[in-house]
Amino acid sequence: MAARPVTVSQVADIKPGELAAVDVEGTRITIANANGRFYAFDDTCTHEQCSLADGILDGTIVTCACHGAQFDVTNGTVVAPPAPTPVRTYSLHVRDGQVVIEV
Amino acid sequence: MRPTFVIVGANLAGASAAITLRDEGFDGQIVLIGAEPDLPYERPPLSKAYLRGEVPFEKTLVRPADFYREHNIDLRLGVRVSKVDVVVRRLECTGDERVPYDALLIATGGRNRRLPIPGFDLDGVYDLRTRHHADRIRAEMAPGRRAVIVGMGFIGSEVAASLRTAGVDVVAIEPAKTPLLRVLGEEIGGVVGRLHRDHGVRAIFGDTVVRFEGAGRVERVLTKSGTQIDCDFAVVGLGIEPATEVVAGTAVRVDNGILVDELCRTNVDGVFAAGDVANHFHPVFGRHLRVEHWQNALKQGAAAARSMMGKGQPYDEIHWFWSDQYDANLQYAGFHTKWDQLILRGSLDRRDFVAFYLNGPRIDAAVALNRPKDIRLVIPLIKRRVVVDLENLRDPNVDLRKLATA
Repeated sequence: MAARPVTVSQVADIKPGELAAVDVEGTRITIANANGRFYAFDDTCTHEQCSLADGILDGTIVTCACHGAQFDVTNGTVVAPPAPTPVRTYSLHVRDGQVVIEV
Repeated sequence: MRPTFVIVGANLAGASAAITLRDEGFDGQIVLIGAEPDLPYERPPLSKAYLRGEVPFEKTLVRPADFYREHNIDLRLGVRVSKVDVVVRRLECTGDERVPYDALLIATGGRNRRLPIPGFDLDGVYDLRTRHHADRIRAEMAPGRRAVIVGMGFIGSEVAASLRTAGVDVVAIEPAKTPLLRVLGEEIGGVVGRLHRDHGVRAIFGDTVVRFEGAGRVERVLTKSGTQIDCDFAVVGLGIEPATEVVAGTAVRVDNGILVDELCRTNVDGVFAAGDVANHFHPVFGRHLRVEHWQNALKQGAAAARSMMGKGQPYDEIHWFWSDQYDANLQYAGFHTKWDQLILRGSLDRRDFVAFYLNGPRIDAAVALNRPKDIRLVIPLIKRRVVVDLENLRDPNVDLRKLATA
């Protein structure tokens, strides 16, 4: 199935250093504003299913608040355990003040 | 000749050290020796998701089996080290095998404390440290079975929660007035006590077990106050003792664990220690301390590995742990043994709070229930020994990040 664009947020709604979870057709996706650059990835931590949007963003690293797992928001890779596997990431564009992701 | 680094303890601390050695480019021989038969695994799930049968054992492994082969790590499982000769730098293992080393890391962890309670050896009386122990407890778990938990520290509390979740009837016996009293104090301990009560645990505080009774297998537990509790099995959680016996009779200094400096070095050249067994000098707190946390095993194992390679940095990680019980997420960061002020944000009754343990104007530690993010934010305040404004600290509307710059 071809990826298609979905507008998930206004740029202005997510400040630098902030995370926000959006629901896209039943999948919870977190949008991160890493110092002005936006990234999208699965909201659910691969360790014990906590919401990554409830975590902390520092640069391009998101830390899951529940148990401290860390992911690189640019590519979803695990930076620190206990997460066993990466989180899925999504292509994201900013157009006309809107955050658009490919799902 | 390329050097041989030997790690005793094929657990999280030991595996983390082995992984780090390779990550950092160590090209000598790595021997990782463990007494347990299993590949290195993580222990936190043993009292929680693994005990409840929610995750398979493979998910708790630090690395899959292939990893050790691919990284040329000589993993020797089911092997006990009987003696260390720190002068000639050689270990003796079960079966008379001798293993010479150039650098040695002791990561032997802890062993469960066992009190001389009559009947402790009866079938159906368990303690919990290893996968094997968890498997035996798990086999007892079924709705309607009756369990007694002895000791409401972290292991007792987590096992009680897992048993209740599985429908087991639970009576818990704890000598203190609340669970976790020694670590968290009466106020916070009381919150944890009510959490268990609300989930149907019958908790008996201020009493101790004096005897397990039964014909070959435990049938009842007797307490000092004369209470008799019928049960199908019992789980004892009395804490651990550091497993220092491997260096007994050597010059390695031991005092509440193996004494190491901030580079994980013992007083003996070429011998290092990390994890639960290491009583380490902590530069932030300016004292030696020993903790039994997942994060410390992971990070200190790695720090020791770098030290063994001669590129160590002072290990100044702020200690941190979590304890999931029922749907509650408890987290703690820092280190404290006493405090002159406990400052609370949030509500104890709603089980939504963070509490700060202060000595003078500095936060030594914090505990949070269902506020994990606050723990993340307080760690930098602890690490930098920030002098905090108490009014701001009390005020829930003041972002904790702001306190760092005050």
